[in-house]
Amino acid sequence: MRLAFVGKGGVGKSAIAGTFCRALARQGHPVLAIDSDPLPGLAFSLGLTISDAPLPDEAIEDKPEGEEGPRYRLRAGLTAADAIDQYAATAPDGVRFLQFGKHRGSTGRGLFRSQFAFRQILRELPEDRWNIVGDLPGGTRQPFTGWGDYARLILIVVEPTAKSMLTARRLSRLALDEEHPRQIVAVVNKAREAGDVKTVEERTGLEVVGAVPWDVAFAEAEEKMAAPIDLAPGSAAVKAVESLVEQLSAERIS
Amino acid sequence: MRVAVVGKGGSGKTTTSAIVARTMARHGATVVALDCDSNPNLGLSLGVGDFETERLESMRESLDEGGEEHAPGWDDLIARFGSDAPDGVRLAVVSRIDNPSPG
Ligand SMILES: Nc1ncnc2c1ncn2[C@@H]1O[C@H](COP(=O)(O)OP(=O)(O)OP(=O)(O)O)[C@@H](O)[C@H]1O
Ligand SMILES: Nc1ncnc2c1ncn2[C@@H]1O[C@H](COP(=O)(O)OP(=O)(O)OP(=O)(O)O)[C@@H](O)[C@H]1O
Ligand SMILES: [Mg+2]
Ligand SMILES: [Mg+2]
Repeated sequence: MRLAFVGKGGVGKSAIAGTFCRALARQGHPVLAIDSDPLPGLAFSLGLTISDAPLPDEAIEDKPEGEEGPRYRLRAGLTAADAIDQYAATAPDGVRFLQFGKHRGSTGRGLFRSQFAFRQILRELPEDRWNIVGDLPGGTRQPFTGWGDYARLILIVVEPTAKSMLTARRLSRLALDEEHPRQIVAVVNKAREAGDVKTVEERTGLEVVGAVPWDVAFAEAEEKMAAPIDLAPGSAAVKAVESLVEQLSAERIS
Repeated sequence: MRVAVVGKGGSGKTTTSAIVARTMARHGATVVALDCDSNPNLGLSLGVGDFETERLESMRESLDEGGEEHAPGWDDLIARFGSDAPDGVRLAVVSRIDNPSPG
């Protein structure tokens, strides 16, 4: 499966995506976790102690003068699949993690080169090798401007609050794209009341495929910069993400 | 006085901005609240509601697309593309939907 988590800032995309990746990997599926946020947040939720993983300079070359195409690209002979094998970080349960570096004050040329290679990998990676799970930046700015094109399933993470539901309505409009047909559904997060799922369904018009309760264990994992699935394996929120994985892998993995 | 509120996603920027704006207005200041987010939702925190928040956004989009004549100056912009929020705060949406992809 190829899916991406989107939603308003702070709704819990990274916490859910990280837990989702680990749970999917435990079922025996190869998982590639993708973070395209220049202020990345997925690595800790996966159980890594790094926050970013830029592609090294040696993996990238300048486009030769006069040739068509993007300014930088993977070095000649290095396929997208090789680049993952060689350069993606390895998280617990064998999850591989691809990211392009992060903003550190100045916008370095290295970051820019790494971003080009990152996007090339996502364009060219063969469909059958990896399950791809993406964590996109919050809000409506990045997701549907070419950064989430790999996703066949868009999971809009929605808190049952007015601002989050407004954002979800915008995202579901932006996600409609004839060139990239995909399914768009919602996951309710930080649910506190029985009526939350119904509220989100009514006010976003989206099918809700999962509901993750508000759970202090998730907040504590964040404070300790650890993966919820390691720190609070039996918590209600982790269990809810695990059942989302079961449901989606039963339905959508061929 | 000109204040900008920044921080991590979901940390409370919009909520804080709205409370600061309305509190200053209640103390007698003339306040313009600018929503600079490409996903504007300051209207909800200020209390103008879903409908008005979405109306301001579509007005902003039509300005970007050339469907509206550009206002000549700051005052005109705030008058034509803003909305009245409680306590006399004037809300305007100023973000553009940029394409952030490299290349
Ligand atoms: N179900 C939950 N219960 C309690 N706290 C949660 C839950 N889900 C997420 N959180 C907390 O909410 C905060 C934001 O979560 P997270 O960083 O995953 O959101 P995000 O959508 O990725 O944010 P950003 O837009 O900045 O990338 C964190 O402190 C996290 O621990
Ligand atoms: N002090 C607080 N106590 C409880 N909830 C709060 C507090 N401050 C903000 N919130 C809630 O946190 C959520 C996120 O707040 P808000 O939308 O203001 O953040 P933001 O930084 O503007 O997010 P974004 O990055 O999406 O623009 C909202 O549901 C808001 O009601
Ligand atoms: Mg995040
Ligand atoms: Mg905000």
